[in-house]
Order: sequence, then structure tokens, then C-alpha cells
Amino acid sequence: MTAETATKELGAARLAGADARRGGAGRDALIEFAGVSLAFAGKTVLDKIDLSIAKGEIVCIVGPSGCGKTTALRLASGLLAPSAGAIAFNGAPLQGPRRDVAIVFQDYGKALLPWRTAAGNVSLALEAAGTPRKARPQRIGALLAKVGLPNHADKYPSQMSGGMQQRLQIARCLAQEPIALMMDEPFGALDAMTRQELQDELLDIAAASGATIFFVTHDLEEAIYLGDRVIGLLPHPGRVGIELKIDLPRPRDQVATREAAQFLRLRRELYDFIKSAER
Amino acid sequence: MRSLRDRLLGVVVLALLVALWQIVANLKLVSPVYLPGPDRAFTALVHGLAASDLGAKLMGTIEHMIEGWLLASIAGIALGALIGASSQARAFIAPTLEFLRPLPASAIIPVAIAVFGLSPAMALGVIAFGAIWPMLLATIHGFAAVEPRLYEVAAALRLSRPAVIFKIALPSALPDILAGLRLGLTVALILAVVCEMIAGLNGLGNWVLLSARMFRSADLFAGVILLGAVGFVGALALNIAERRLLAWRAP
Repeated sequence: MTAETATKELGAARLAGADARRGGAGRDALIEFAGVSLAFAGKTVLDKIDLSIAKGEIVCIVGPSGCGKTTALRLASGLLAPSAGAIAFNGAPLQGPRRDVAIVFQDYGKALLPWRTAAGNVSLALEAAGTPRKARPQRIGALLAKVGLPNHADKYPSQMSGGMQQRLQIARCLAQEPIALMMDEPFGALDAMTRQELQDELLDIAAASGATIFFVTHDLEEAIYLGDRVIGLLPHPGRVGIELKIDLPRPRDQVATREAAQFLRLRRELYDFIKSAER
Repeated sequence: MRSLRDRLLGVVVLALLVALWQIVANLKLVSPVYLPGPDRAFTALVHGLAASDLGAKLMGTIEHMIEGWLLASIAGIALGALIGASSQARAFIAPTLEFLRPLPASAIIPVAIAVFGLSPAMALGVIAFGAIWPMLLATIHGFAAVEPRLYEVAAALRLSRPAVIFKIALPSALPDILAGLRLGLTVALILAVVCEMIAGLNGLGNWVLLSARMFRSADLFAGVILLGAVGFVGALALNIAERRLLAWRAP
């Protein structure tokens, strides 16, 4: 996806995706939290969360540590069940993980199979989905090319850099042909340059596929840069504290978008929110 | 991978030891009745293989060792997977294992003889009982130590239960299992020899014991040399298998 040609190809799709996205909360909800609470051992982690994520929307969750943002993502992906309230996916109650919902974990090193090559790791998702053996190599090749790893199919994760490993995890997630991507601080452990590259590639993928994205991060600028909407959680117990609609034009640009007056205003607002939340 | 230089040094050390053995034997520091030189031992080895039934004894020992080891491996890995995959099972079964594990396998030989008689089945049972522990404990540990994140990945992909075992847990536990296989093979060789000595089964243990009783020290040493070679070749084969199976661990 780093190749210019790929970006060009995606241009049209990206615009279409961005147009669809403008609809915002008015459109069909893909994921809906209705009064969702979660308690662990008597301690309330999340308290009566109401949240609606529209199809094709990119929603970023920020908040101070301990606010339950990762827990919210695990609930939305079906890895956890709420103690109270209900979560609906596409209008039906969510009952555990789904193959069309892919989860990108922060600790890519632990989420990959170290004994399988890059191709083998992508293959795992295809095997799980029952893709015929003969159809796999071609799909794997296309997916690895899509995340910028076309020449690393035979490398083991231990032979790859952190950025490459996270790209590989994303390729495996894309192999699920997800309608939603659940991303838990996916770029938090990467260096600044790699992070920005992956942010743009993620936006390209989102625009091309129209996938809904639920993105947890502690990086406020990243949240504004990526999101259609940013939700800030308050801690103890975790609850929604702020909701910002991000109307920055798409496609976004690492330099121009981050310099826009509106970006700076949003950043200020979010920063003040986090400061007050931590107090 | 060891360097050529290290390998050469290893051969040199071995050659020096053999030379020392020859000198001690030639100087008759130990009576030749008990200690033959490497020359006599080697002659006895060649003669035994060519003209006597040393070859058949060798095959007997290898057979006992491999059969017991295979039985122990299959049972150990299967049981270990069952126990290791469930923390509940681990809690229930751990005390029993802790009681049985330190039991010397040779101590159950009388029990095995009572049950099976002086038969190959007795040897198989004793060897398997002794060799199962390293495999069982290593497999339990390997299954219990699977990265929890990988189970979440499996859940997210909705992998079936067999797929989780064969694609996630088993490969993840493989380094531990291979270490167990190696230890188990050593134990299996030791017990094969002990059983052959006690039950008079056809094998090197039996050959060594009879040679000692008849003061044929050269034959005795020929048997011992062969036993060393069996252990060495077994370890070498497992090393090669390990290097291939765990290629992904190389930096």
C-alpha cells in the first residue's frame, strides 16, 4: 500500500468511503451499546455506556489509563460479555467473537504464531474460514502485498521489525474479510515514522473496504487524525465523558491535516478533557 | 551450529581418552582380566558382530528402547495435552503425579514381573513407565505455558477445538516436548538394559551381564561401546529433528 499506484487506485474508493462516512450517526448502526456495564470482582470497570457506531465509521476511543477503553473494545469484539446492558451487532445481540470482526492486538509479537512464516500466519485466518487449500497462496500473496510485505512471505516474525510484524497482523485480520476492525492501541509501540505510515495505510484500507473501525489509542492526535468521531472516557468507573465529531476533510494528510486550525482546536479540547479527567 | 574447530577438538579429546585407555591397559595398571585395551575391545566388537550374535543383541536393545520410548511418547504427549490444556485437570492430577514421578522405574520391575512375567511385555511396561515422565511433565508445562493472547487470536478467528490444539497449543509446546523426548530416550535406553539384565531378554544388557560373569572383559567392553553408540546416535537423530522442527527459533 506504500506504492503510489496503489494509493492512486484507492483514491476513488477512498472518496466514496469518505462520502458515505459523512452520514455520521444518522445511518444504520453496526455496533450499539445500550446501558453496558462491566464489573470485575465487585469493581465496576465500565458504567452504563451508551454508544452507537455507524457502518463505515471510524470511532476512536481515548481516555486516561484505567478508564476501561481496552475493556470497551473487548466487549465490542465479543471477547467479553457485559455484566449488564446489551450489545447489538448489525441489529442482533452480539454473542461472542465473529469471523467478520477482526481484532488487531497491541502486542503484535504475542499475537502472531512465531513458528509460522508470514505467509503461514496469514494462512491461519484462511484455514479458520475454511478457504480451500488451493485458493490460499494467491489470497496470501495479495494480502501481504496490500500491507507492504510482498517480499517477506517466507520470513518468520522473529526476523521482522515491529512495524512489519504489526503489518503482518493486519494482513491476517484482513484475511477475515472483516466488516469491522477492532484495534487496541495497534501503533502504540511503534516509532513515529512507522506509526504515521501505518495510520495512512489504515485510512486507505478503511476507505477501500468501507470497514467500520473501532480504534483505541492513548495518542490524542492519532485519534483526531484517524477518526470520524472521538470518544473520551472518564475513569473510575469508566464512562463516556466527551464526544467530538471530527469534520476534517478526507483524505487526510500527515502535514496539512495536523496543521489545520480545526485540528488544533480539537486537540486543545481533547487535551483539556484528559487533563481534567486525570485530576 | 557448532564450528568445525569445536567439532575437531571434540574428536581430539575422544582420541586422547582412547589413547590413555590403551596406555593404562598396556602398562597393566589394571589386570587384563578386568580391563582389556581398546585394541582387544575393538577386535571383540568386530568378531562379535561378524561371527557371534552381538548384532542380534544390538537390534534387540534398540527394539526394546524404541518400542518403550514410542509407547511412552504417545501416551505422555496425549496425557500431557489433556492435563496441560485444563487448569482444573492440572490441579486434580498434580499431587498424584508428584507421588509417582520420583518413584525409581527399577523399583516397579518386581511389580511388572508379577503382572507380566519375565516377558517382553514386562520390559515394554517398565521402559514406558520410566520414560513417560519427562514427556508427560514437559508436555503439561508446554501446554500450560501457551501465550494466552494466542488463545484470544484463536477465539477471534473462531478456530475449532481440534484446530486450537493442533495449530496453536501443540506447536507452541513443541520445544518442551522435544526436550522431553530427548530425556525420555535416555531413560528408555537405561531401562532397556536393566530389563535385559534382570529378565534375560535378548539384548546388549544380557550380553554385557553374561560376558562379565564369564570374565570375557573384551566382549563386555564391546557391548558397552555399542550401548554408548546407540545413545549417541539416538541423541544425534533427535538433534537433527529438533533443528529442523524449531528452525523458526533461530535468530
